[in-house]
Amino acid sequence: MDRSPIFEAVGVQKAFPGVLALKGVNISLLPGSIHALLGENGAGKSTLIKIITGVHQPTAGQLRLDGQAATFGSPRDAIARGIGVVHQERNLFPRFSVAENIHLERLAMSYLRPVDYAALNRAARPWLEALDLDIDPATPVSELSVARMQLVEIAKALSLQSRVLLLDEPTASLTSSETDRLFTILRRLRDDGTSLVFVSHKLEEVQEICDRVTVLRDGANACESRSMEGVDRKQLVQMMIGRSEGAGAWRHRDRRDQPEVLDLAGVDTALGHRDVSLTVRKGEIVGLYGLVGAGRTELAKAIMGQFAVTGGEVRVNGAPVKIRSVAEAIHRHRMGYISEDRKSEGLILQHSVLANAGVPIWRRLAQAMGSLTDGRVRKVASPFLTKLEVKTPSLAQSVGNLSGGNQQKISVAKWLAANVGFLIVDEPSVGIDIKTKAYLHDLLRELADNGTAILLISSEMPEMIALADRIMVMDEYRIRGEVTNSGVYAEISHRIMDRIHDAPQPAA
Amino acid sequence: MSVAPVPSALPESSSDGFARLSRTRFLLSNEFGLILLIAAFALLFAVYTSGFLSVFNLFSLGRNAAVNIMIGLAMMTVIVTGGLNLAVGAIGVCAAMGCGWLLQILGLPWPVAILGGLALGAGLGAVNGWMVVRTGLHSFIITLATMSIFFGVMIFLTRAEAFRDFPEAMTAFGKMRLLTYLSPLLLLTFAVALALAWLYRFTVTGREMLAAGANPAAAELSGIRVGRAIILCHMLSGLLAGIAAMMLVTRNGAAIPSMAGQLGQDWLLPAFLGPVLGGTLLQGGKVSVLGTVLGAFLVTMLSSGLLMLQVGAFWVQTFLGLMLLVAVLLDKARRSWLARRNLA
Repeated sequence: MDRSPIFEAVGVQKAFPGVLALKGVNISLLPGSIHALLGENGAGKSTLIKIITGVHQPTAGQLRLDGQAATFGSPRDAIARGIGVVHQERNLFPRFSVAENIHLERLAMSYLRPVDYAALNRAARPWLEALDLDIDPATPVSELSVARMQLVEIAKALSLQSRVLLLDEPTASLTSSETDRLFTILRRLRDDGTSLVFVSHKLEEVQEICDRVTVLRDGANACESRSMEGVDRKQLVQMMIGRSEGAGAWRHRDRRDQPEVLDLAGVDTALGHRDVSLTVRKGEIVGLYGLVGAGRTELAKAIMGQFAVTGGEVRVNGAPVKIRSVAEAIHRHRMGYISEDRKSEGLILQHSVLANAGVPIWRRLAQAMGSLTDGRVRKVASPFLTKLEVKTPSLAQSVGNLSGGNQQKISVAKWLAANVGFLIVDEPSVGIDIKTKAYLHDLLRELADNGTAILLISSEMPEMIALADRIMVMDEYRIRGEVTNSGVYAEISHRIMDRIHDAPQPAA
Repeated sequence: MSVAPVPSALPESSSDGFARLSRTRFLLSNEFGLILLIAAFALLFAVYTSGFLSVFNLFSLGRNAAVNIMIGLAMMTVIVTGGLNLAVGAIGVCAAMGCGWLLQILGLPWPVAILGGLALGAGLGAVNGWMVVRTGLHSFIITLATMSIFFGVMIFLTRAEAFRDFPEAMTAFGKMRLLTYLSPLLLLTFAVALALAWLYRFTVTGREMLAAGANPAAAELSGIRVGRAIILCHMLSGLLAGIAAMMLVTRNGAAIPSMAGQLGQDWLLPAFLGPVLGGTLLQGGKVSVLGTVLGAFLVTMLSSGLLMLQVGAFWVQTFLGLMLLVAVLLDKARRSWLARRNLA
């Protein structure tokens, strides 16, 4: 089939003060194709996306639409020319209805004429139907599940007559069944002639759905719009990081003879958990697997004392405890929690690297009258920041200015510095690249080998199977069963899904 | 893409780095801009008015600045939490009246009365903080309500009558001059400012206040007792408002229910001008004690200088309002300039 590209970027450069983010990048998008855009954090993917969608203007190079040179002065320009984007961060207004969100750009065509809601809802329906979304357009977005919000964003992009649709990590917060549905829809859009760009860190998904691929490394093409045919995972990784993936696979460890660090016996919580029993031993990594909404993060927060435990017993190091606040969990029981949401719960973005890395140890390091100098904090925290290879111009840099991977390293470093005996790690690899992820995995194993008890929460089955010694399966705020990890993906994933499906499934 | 001025790993000599960085940063900072403005206006007033540099004017300027700075600091401690305290004035007046009552009605010695008044201020602040934490409402609502409540109860209890029998020891302090032109009140204010700077920079409590203000959710999950930190901020605010009121009492020789206007509202403009001109972020989490001191000083100096230039009192208010807008816009421009150059 002879197809000429809808969109091309040729020799695109982008300079920011002090950095050349893109050094002459090419990409060409064909109609009816799903094009993977890969690269580690900081490789220039987001910059390229922002240039394609008109947020940034290239310093040099050319954008071509249907073979004609095009310039986008603003995102509106790009939208008007048929380039839509679904951003990684949600861009919906939660209190507005689905229809209002879809039509936001055209909502206020005239200042005084009242909005015709009936027409709005009518106009929104076909787009929702195109995505098999069975929801009333008048529903406020805040009442939808994360997956459905994602689909509403796609509906919005489609309603703008997008011929090119960029999807930035669309599956980051979806479960595997939701991902499958999304893929079905993406394939249909592809078959209808839309040109899709798929950005993801999950190579399994890229291999499943993409037919062409562009890889960026350090702001340049590591490969340029080539066919996915005959490209295997190893090659992709090689192109992304410039070397082969570190091994760091699962290995058998038995901790059954070790003392119990955390023991939940028939615990109920104020959030609705019922009869939750689980044990984490010294040096053990226990996985807590479940679909989004199964109640895992909520359980973690209840363990940490943010929400009340209303029944059953919590034992820390063998002694029954009642933890009334997170401060108590951290300072008295030496527990730690690495949040899945590092931007709003893990880090204080406007504060410096040092201030973030030191928070849990401030109290411990304080001297007379609660006085504390930066020097004391630095002495304890900076070895861990160095060990994790946090890249920052200085310890005084605001964390918000660093890349996602570096932010994640800081939120881990802070708990390493706190020297906790029990650590809950919630979705540790959301939004970080392969290299950092492999590194984090090694680090978690090393931590466990040195005696830290770890409760790992992850929706990523490969991650779970690579790390956990035992896996507890949670669904609807209850533990559905336990699987001893053998490291064999096919077997374990099957057994885990069985545990979930044994229970009566609500309509997805 | 989020930045990446690709540096190596951590700079080893980070303490040197800090020093060099902070020197460059100081010259680009808001505080330095305020110092320039203060110098420029001082020069202007010195040249165009007679008597701006007179011993009497310097003394009264310093004394007024002492009170205004203290009021600004009282607001600043709550702005740190991302909130605000509309009741600063009401709390200040309550503290002053409380002190007068202890002294005149109960006949307690004046140091005890002052401590009692300050404790009342801190207590009322703590009430604000406690309600903010317990209800989860924005402090704007809570302090708007308590402003009227505190003031109303105070008027009811005192029947709106002033206390005027203050001992010589107290009023002498307000009139005292060191080196002929320096008010000890200004020194007291500087001491308090230094203590606050130390609090935020070198104590766990201060750091926790900033962390709780910047991102309460992250702070809590990192082991900070956020509620307690916020109550402490409000308590501190009440205490500082009390100190400002005591300073006014020593200056006036009386505790008067209308000393801060109806509901204590006369304090609000100076309370906000200092911190905002000084670059304390209204969203919370960042604080500049030096900036607040300089900002409040600039405002006091401008009011005094403009009056001496025989600009009408109403025009002075207008000018201060304009000043606030211009300063904030300039600061915004400065910040985005710095951000474009990756300096901040």
